[in-house]
Amino acid sequence: MTIRTPLFRKSPESLPFWQAAQEGRLVLPFCPKCDQPHLPVGPVCPFCFSDLIIFKESSGKGKVSSFTVVHKQWFPDFYRPLPYNVVQVELTEGPRLMGIFEEKDIADLTVGANVEVGFKILTPELTLIVFSPE
Amino acid sequence: MTLKLRNQTAIVGIGSSTFGRGLEESQLKLGSIALAEALRDSGLKRSDIDGISIHMGWPLGIDYDRAAEAYGLNTRWVYQSWLHGRFVTSALQAASMAVACGMASVVACITAVSFTRERHILGGPGDLEGCREDGGSHGEVPYLGLTAPAGGAALSMQRYMSLYGATSEQLAAVPIAFRKHACLNPKALMQEPLTLDSHQSARMVVDPLRLYDCCLVSDGAIVTLVTTADRARDLRQKPVYISGMQGIRSGRNEFIFAPPGLGIQQQGVGPEFSNPVFNNDVYEMANISRNDIQGLYTYDAFSPLVLFVLERFGFCATGEAARWVQNGAIELGGKLPMNTSGGLLSEAHVGGWNSISEMVRQLRGQADGRQISSCNHLQWATCWGDSFILGNQA
Repeated sequence: MTIRTPLFRKSPESLPFWQAAQEGRLVLPFCPKCDQPHLPVGPVCPFCFSDLIIFKESSGKGKVSSFTVVHKQWFPDFYRPLPYNVVQVELTEGPRLMGIFEEKDIADLTVGANVEVGFKILTPELTLIVFSPE
Repeated sequence: MTLKLRNQTAIVGIGSSTFGRGLEESQLKLGSIALAEALRDSGLKRSDIDGISIHMGWPLGIDYDRAAEAYGLNTRWVYQSWLHGRFVTSALQAASMAVACGMASVVACITAVSFTRERHILGGPGDLEGCREDGGSHGEVPYLGLTAPAGGAALSMQRYMSLYGATSEQLAAVPIAFRKHACLNPKALMQEPLTLDSHQSARMVVDPLRLYDCCLVSDGAIVTLVTTADRARDLRQKPVYISGMQGIRSGRNEFIFAPPGLGIQQQGVGPEFSNPVFNNDVYEMANISRNDIQGLYTYDAFSPLVLFVLERFGFCATGEAARWVQNGAIELGGKLPMNTSGGLLSEAHVGGWNSISEMVRQLRGQADGRQISSCNHLQWATCWGDSFILGNQA
């Protein structure tokens, strides 16, 4: 089965994040100086401007901070049928991450819902971040 | 010591083409029509123009170099930004600053767009910008299917509704108000009133945004001429002075389509982020307070952006806007008329310049059946924090 996905560009800084995702792990960039994590993965700590970044494993848990459901067929032949959701999750560590909510649990999709992360490998280049109710 | 810009520059001419959908004429042709009208309006000659300011270039609009070449202009100053609606305020501000420091004498702000011809770049596979690493400029994540500016606005409004109990029915007050205004404007594309029923039964685009919560996709051109206050006083029309300005806010607590403190992307949440601490510059420069503002105009690409700008600039408290706009509050005759020619939602999408032209007409007393009485101070502001105030008193 061919999954045609829109162009997905990864910054060089984010490669360790996607490498870990492929292995089923959620990691976050941390600053060894001020110990704060940040997203999106950047080249420096946006809080103290240190240029040392280390990746540490995240709890993988958080709360849905927002979501939407797309009803318009913007992408012809999209690998997800309409209507489909996207979620923004505030991880317990603080940063917010975009993913999708497990379709079978859609009735539980609300702002504030407690979720945990999962991964689904779609292609060698593309790992999907999937949240489901905790 | 910084320059004192209050009332040092003015808008002296406005001109436009027809607004429509699927217009045959090129953007360049539409722009020439608008330029000719702006020159007639101001009494200036084409050779008086020595500056160009553009925020929507090719392919949606036209670039400064083609405009100068095609229209036979000769400039000594140009501003052209990244192609985004968000830079409309900057385009006017840049023009004002250029003439204030003598880098240009008369700047033509030129917007000539065809959204109908170029709509594929706004979202979907044709939207290359949306593929920016770590999220597009409206929060796009195309590999998940979140695309187009509407996607980002939907993400914000969904959270806003959940936090503050706002409903789609309340949100409808915004497009309903601007449609009423459009019906008083013969140039507006939409000429039928919008009912709550029609708003609610129209298709969902990206939840919670329905069809009428999203701006028109249309073609048209507007040219706005800016010069010094001194020069303005010698020209045909009553000068419309630029009294105050402030720029785009950016940082981790900012998202283009959310007020600070809402909690979209990496925004902090809470009153320490949502209090309009930085939103007084424009009033300070203009030497007036927000209570003196008789009409507010904003970039209404989506209904929620109207709620967010009201909160951002302190016209109502955080979380209150959906209630505040009920009962005609933002309609002509209401507490604070907004987008009195119909806005992007009901007049046409000319990058916000259609509302700026309306501000000019209002301050000149030329707004026909939409005239705000004793109109002296109007404000343009966006939910991403930039703003200018126009006035007709020197």
